[in-house]
Amino acid sequence: MSSDLLNLTLRVWRQAAPNQPGEFRDYRLNGVSTHMSFLEMLDVLNEQLIAQGEVPVAFDHDCREGICGMCSLMINGQAHGPDRGTTSCQLHMRRFRNGETITIEPWRADPFPVIRDLVVNRSAFDRIIQAGGFVSVNTGNAPDGNSVPVPGVRQEMAMDAAACIGCGACVAACKNASAMLFVSAKVSQLSILPQGQPERANRVLNMVAQMDKEGFGSCTNTSECEAACPAEVSVAHIARLNREYMKAMLFADH
Amino acid sequence: MNALLRVLSLPAVFLSKIPGLAPVVRACSTSVGQKFLMAITGLSLIGFLVVHLAGNLQLFAGEAVFNAYAEKLHSLGPLLGIAEVGLFATFAAHIGLAISTASMNKLARKSSYALKETKQGLFILPAGGASSWMMVTGLLIFGFLVIHIMDLKLKKGFGVDYTAAMNADNEAVNSFQAVKAVLSHPVHAGIYFVCLIALGIHLSHGIRSALQTLGLHHKNWNFALRTLGFVMAWGIAGGFISLIVWALGSKS
Repeated sequence: MSSDLLNLTLRVWRQAAPNQPGEFRDYRLNGVSTHMSFLEMLDVLNEQLIAQGEVPVAFDHDCREGICGMCSLMINGQAHGPDRGTTSCQLHMRRFRNGETITIEPWRADPFPVIRDLVVNRSAFDRIIQAGGFVSVNTGNAPDGNSVPVPGVRQEMAMDAAACIGCGACVAACKNASAMLFVSAKVSQLSILPQGQPERANRVLNMVAQMDKEGFGSCTNTSECEAACPAEVSVAHIARLNREYMKAMLFADH
Repeated sequence: MNALLRVLSLPAVFLSKIPGLAPVVRACSTSVGQKFLMAITGLSLIGFLVVHLAGNLQLFAGEAVFNAYAEKLHSLGPLLGIAEVGLFATFAAHIGLAISTASMNKLARKSSYALKETKQGLFILPAGGASSWMMVTGLLIFGFLVIHIMDLKLKKGFGVDYTAAMNADNEAVNSFQAVKAVLSHPVHAGIYFVCLIALGIHLSHGIRSALQTLGLHHKNWNFALRTLGFVMAWGIAGGFISLIVWALGSKS
């Protein structure tokens, strides 16, 4: 644990526009409360930069309670910072020591181009979802409770996959910049449930095709994604995606 | 890198021209499909290693037993030739796919991090454990393969004295003595030892990774499968290393 106020050096990636070269800039930030979240610390940095007449650091954020998947910072070489199962917004400054230098980088993967500073474009994930991460059923009125029977264990399995917030930490942490954990979570959550059955085979084939088209790497089974995932999505889903793909490849009806 | 990928995709382009194969080739050309083929070829090569080790462990049973085994193997004639072509094709596919997927992975992150740390526990090997050393250990195994074929298939090992294995017409007839000549040569034994350690590292990640790629992941089975993978990897590497120890020990 550290004292109540920290004096820090922040090494921040600054890049003005997508195709311009970026560089690290060092900023001194004094009197940072250990009770602040990491993003609140960046807010304080930006206040300081604005007061000095400099351009503030652009970073993605929205809900600041770990459910939206917007914040996306590589903090000291770790996606979302040193803790497991947390997003950057849930990381607190008490995890850092007085006098420490903190390196802050954007996610680095070619399918996630930098828009500005620490903000990357994650539209590639949206296009993967559009390729098959949905069910096309006429929902009509809300069905009666329990009219679609799903065993409790499978509900939990689907929920574990659905916990994915699409932040991209799996891609950021993977040495191959592979999106397999994300795609497998999105394939799994629907393949486990009855509503996902009609489109099951095409879903996995189309989503994998789109994943490749976006230029993500392949899975080497290092499990670094699982360790970095703020929603703690398991690599068991990657094995499930592989089974789904194999089944669709061999036995699909079309 | 893109040109390399195009060259590596030539076998797939050729195979897809064969009637009926196009859908299979397409399914196997994606990143997931290529990893399947990596896993299947990798496990097949392990199958070969197990058979090869089982045969070679007969060295412990003495000259007569081992030479009888070698003779039986060579008497298979064309069957052995077909098996060797199949083995070579499997190696070529495994290596080609490795270069192909590794190039795609490099293209996926062209500018790297200034600082990158792992969130997993301690690794015995740096940079994320055995999984980060697959290309390096794979290249060592490939180098070993070339030397090994020179040494014992072509009997042209650098600096090795094969006289004990030759008959009066200067033909290599005694496999037992040939193996002993190579394995008791300090430089060859050293190279073999280093490459077999590389093999152990390669397989210790390779087996469990192949199983995960083929979809085998279940909480009731993970521990058993991972233990089996580790034991098999070092059992195979250790088994071959025991032959080097034996040859060096029985040199005099």
